[in-house]
Amino acid sequence: MAKKSTSVLGAAALASMLALTACGGGNSAGNDAGGEAANAGAGSGSAEKITLKMMHLWPAGSSKQQNMIVNDIISQYQSDNPNVTIKQEILENEQYKNKLKVLSASNDLPDVGMTWAAGFLTPYVKGDLFAPLDDVLGGGLKDSFVSGTTEAYAVDGKTYALPLELNITPVYYNKAIFSKYGLEVPQTYADFQKAVDTLQQNGVAPIALGNKDRWTGSLWYMYLADRLGGPETLKKAIDRSGSFEDPSLVQAADEVRKLVDGNAFNKGFNGLSNDEGKAEFLSGKAAMYLMGTWELPNFTTNESIPQEFRDQVGFFKFPTIEGGKGGIDSWVGGPGVGLFVSENSKVKEEAKKFVKFFVEKWGEQSVTKAGVIPATKVDTSKVDLPQMYIDILNELGKASNITLFADVQMSPAVAQVHLNMIQALFGKEVAPEAFAKQHEEALKQDAG
Amino acid sequence: MSQRLAAARAEAGPAGRSAASPVLKTLLYAALALIAVAQVFPLLWLAVFSLKDTQEIFTKSPLSLPASPKWENYEKVWTEGNIGQYFFNSVWYTVAAVAATVLLASLVTFALTRMKWGWKKPVLGLFMVGIMIPIHSTLIPLFQMFMKAGLTDHPLSIILAYTAFNLPLTIMILLGFYETLPREVEEAAVMDGCSVNRIFFQIVLPMTASVLATTVIINMIYNWNEFVFVNTFISSDTLKTLTVGIQNFIGQYSADWGAIGATLMISILPILIAFFALSNQIVEGMTAGSVKG
Amino acid sequence: MDKVMSNKKMIALYVLPALLLVLVLIYVPIVLTGYYGLMKWDGIGEMTFTGLDQYAKLVRDAAFWDSAGHSLLLAAFSALSLLGYLAAALVLAGEVKGANLLRKLYLIPMLLSSVAIAQLWAKIYHPTNGILNTLLGAVGLPDTVEWLSDTSIVLLSIFIPIIWQYAGFYILIYYAALKNIPTSLVEAARIDGASPLQIALRVKLPLIAGVAKMTVVLAVVGSLKYFDLIYVMTGGGPNGASEVMASYMYKQAFSSYDFGYGSAIGFFLLLICLAVTWLIRKLTSSEEVQYS
Repeated sequence: MAKKSTSVLGAAALASMLALTACGGGNSAGNDAGGEAANAGAGSGSAEKITLKMMHLWPAGSSKQQNMIVNDIISQYQSDNPNVTIKQEILENEQYKNKLKVLSASNDLPDVGMTWAAGFLTPYVKGDLFAPLDDVLGGGLKDSFVSGTTEAYAVDGKTYALPLELNITPVYYNKAIFSKYGLEVPQTYADFQKAVDTLQQNGVAPIALGNKDRWTGSLWYMYLADRLGGPETLKKAIDRSGSFEDPSLVQAADEVRKLVDGNAFNKGFNGLSNDEGKAEFLSGKAAMYLMGTWELPNFTTNESIPQEFRDQVGFFKFPTIEGGKGGIDSWVGGPGVGLFVSENSKVKEEAKKFVKFFVEKWGEQSVTKAGVIPATKVDTSKVDLPQMYIDILNELGKASNITLFADVQMSPAVAQVHLNMIQALFGKEVAPEAFAKQHEEALKQDAG
Repeated sequence: MSQRLAAARAEAGPAGRSAASPVLKTLLYAALALIAVAQVFPLLWLAVFSLKDTQEIFTKSPLSLPASPKWENYEKVWTEGNIGQYFFNSVWYTVAAVAATVLLASLVTFALTRMKWGWKKPVLGLFMVGIMIPIHSTLIPLFQMFMKAGLTDHPLSIILAYTAFNLPLTIMILLGFYETLPREVEEAAVMDGCSVNRIFFQIVLPMTASVLATTVIINMIYNWNEFVFVNTFISSDTLKTLTVGIQNFIGQYSADWGAIGATLMISILPILIAFFALSNQIVEGMTAGSVKG
Repeated sequence: MDKVMSNKKMIALYVLPALLLVLVLIYVPIVLTGYYGLMKWDGIGEMTFTGLDQYAKLVRDAAFWDSAGHSLLLAAFSALSLLGYLAAALVLAGEVKGANLLRKLYLIPMLLSSVAIAQLWAKIYHPTNGILNTLLGAVGLPDTVEWLSDTSIVLLSIFIPIIWQYAGFYILIYYAALKNIPTSLVEAARIDGASPLQIALRVKLPLIAGVAKMTVVLAVVGSLKYFDLIYVMTGGGPNGASEVMASYMYKQAFSSYDFGYGSAIGFFLLLICLAVTWLIRKLTSSEEVQYS
């Protein structure tokens, strides 16, 4: 923890230094009007007017806090740099991805935008659309990130985006239901299986799942693969230094099948969205829910969910499997959205400067104001957070490994095969061997 | 015609008459009423939906009433985002595109059914193929064209796209009707030395009032609910339409469904009113048409 | 007559504006779609010309043919459902008391956007507290049907909202067509002693044959390229059980980043629509009825 505090301090010092140089030694940026006046004076000699376009996916309606932080950061940057105007375009997730695609095909990307890691980002990098940001990371910024997070956005040794979020996926559980049936937090997978069986025999859906969205089921498969084969087996199968027909990956699929056979999930999960699946947990009908830490506000601060329910929710780490290679501190998760700078931006340098500023400011505010765990280190002793956040952040500090979400790790085409296969596996329409074989073929074809 | 009538007359035996028996009539009305209830249900459901929060929507029965109506959904929708601006944009894009589509389609249909020229078949074919292309394959080419023309992030891109993509459908609907319009009146008009414009605007167009109302309704609904083009071609918030109001409440990992319901309710009202008004026009148009016919 | 109605300048003035708009905004994309279909392109980087490779892939792609089968099935369902809409329109356009109000109420669902319809049907089909299963349970029928996740029924479950969604559209067209029939013709038949049913079948139907034919083409083509509700409600799943051509195309182009292949599917979809339309016109090429 001590190591973390220093690096956080470092980042803060760096940020304040940056702010100072940007303001040209005038009044600090704290006071809006004062800052602007000072800048108006300093700005007379400075560069021409610059407009930066930024695209993101946090609309004010659904992501109020994120949206507010973005606006704060932008207005701060604008008052520090009066010659810069930042124009935002906001689209929801799905439409955002569509538009990014259309804009890329037309070589008209915004100067700054959001991307996802690895498989999502690679085609854009190969197409020379994203600018390398290693120069931005230099000078200490890299150290302020949790190690391993910026690497997820690296292709051939260069980093092409800076992450804003970091998530891991605990199993949330309903303490009231557990105690009603005399269940303990499972330490081993055998315990877990027993708990599932007890719950389903008592007419409670053991696990909430909305698998229409498919990545939700993928989380279960990924943990089983990790606990059986260790963190490297799946990674290697995807990066082609291994095979997807590895026995542990086949067995993981078989374990999913067993869970389905044992009625571990709520009814009709393959036709339900994640929102609908989650509702089974939130309404107390299902006992467990495996999901990213972006759900933490729902179990801590979200006032629209009854206090007594929030108090009932705890989390545990996915149990280890006897004889398996994966340890308890290995997580599925990884950085979520990150900021990219367009390679063809006419104001690339300014865009990079803004991205750096944004990442730093975001790291200071996101967890306290929006409940979003940033990819930059958080000093838990300095911030006032609900206990569950502190616990998760501590777990994050202890993590032995974080395996990036499979559909983000894989190339887009393979990810689609994976997601379809997941749904088929959960629907018992494909046997574990065929499941592995289809993955192997898709990966082979994609590599060759 | 007379042959058919004769045939109808021949079969109009006693059996045919019994169709209007009171039992059957009651059954018919019961069925009609039942369907009406089923068709109105979605609107009532949406109204109730818009007064719940996401929690209630997903965890309670869809038929249950909200524990306490969440009027704040409407407040949220009204205060967050420029709903006034979106509303204004929706109205004027819709009106402009509908007017352009219906006018241009009427002109083409008139030329195709009443005027004398070669190439009618290929031209009609060209329009008909227009309904066959899936919209998602057009997005990238269209965006690039609008970009080159400097029309991205400009209302014209939306109005032009709406017009072009609704023209084929509108022409097809109009064609069926133009072919059944009596020709005597216009033939007489030609004899009287009327110009083409006069025949079209003063004789034919009024005769098609009922089908025009129909195509206006259809176009209006399509344009009002459209969002793929708006999202793709428009980037400034001030130029977007009501449909983005829905997206405003869709988050990265989950959505605020209560607010989405309120947005849906707010955006359906104007079109419901317009629809009721225009829908009377269909009957009035018919009467006007039959007087002339 | 001929001189006025064959004035070239007037014809050009009437046809060209619409034609130009359609040529530029629809045909250029169609041609480009055909062109991209000959390329290997992820929509981002370099394009490579691969000739007909994408089409060769398409011919061998079992998942595509499954989706094509689903689309054709939807087209058949939609075409059949037209009979029901026609019957409804005939009743509404007849002398039913309150027809004016009923007609308006019947068309209400048509005003709803796909987002609303998808939400509504998700609530109807919900496996545990859905309206449908609740109703089934109330009358003592099996109430545990998994409407959207059971791969053997998901296709049917998804067709029903689609067909319902378009009911208003077709009823409206038929209604307007029926109301367009001069009352004098119907009166004449009535005086001749024809029953309402006979008037409907022997007088009204032949007169709206042109409109009816057009609606068949619209329903079939519209079904073949249908996308909205399927994408929102099931995403084509589970595991492709409700995939249709347009959703498959969209996923290839926008989710799998295979824009070349997506374009080939889009272009092929257009060809299928053309072929089917040609077939419909062939099958229904009886003489058109006119008032004369």
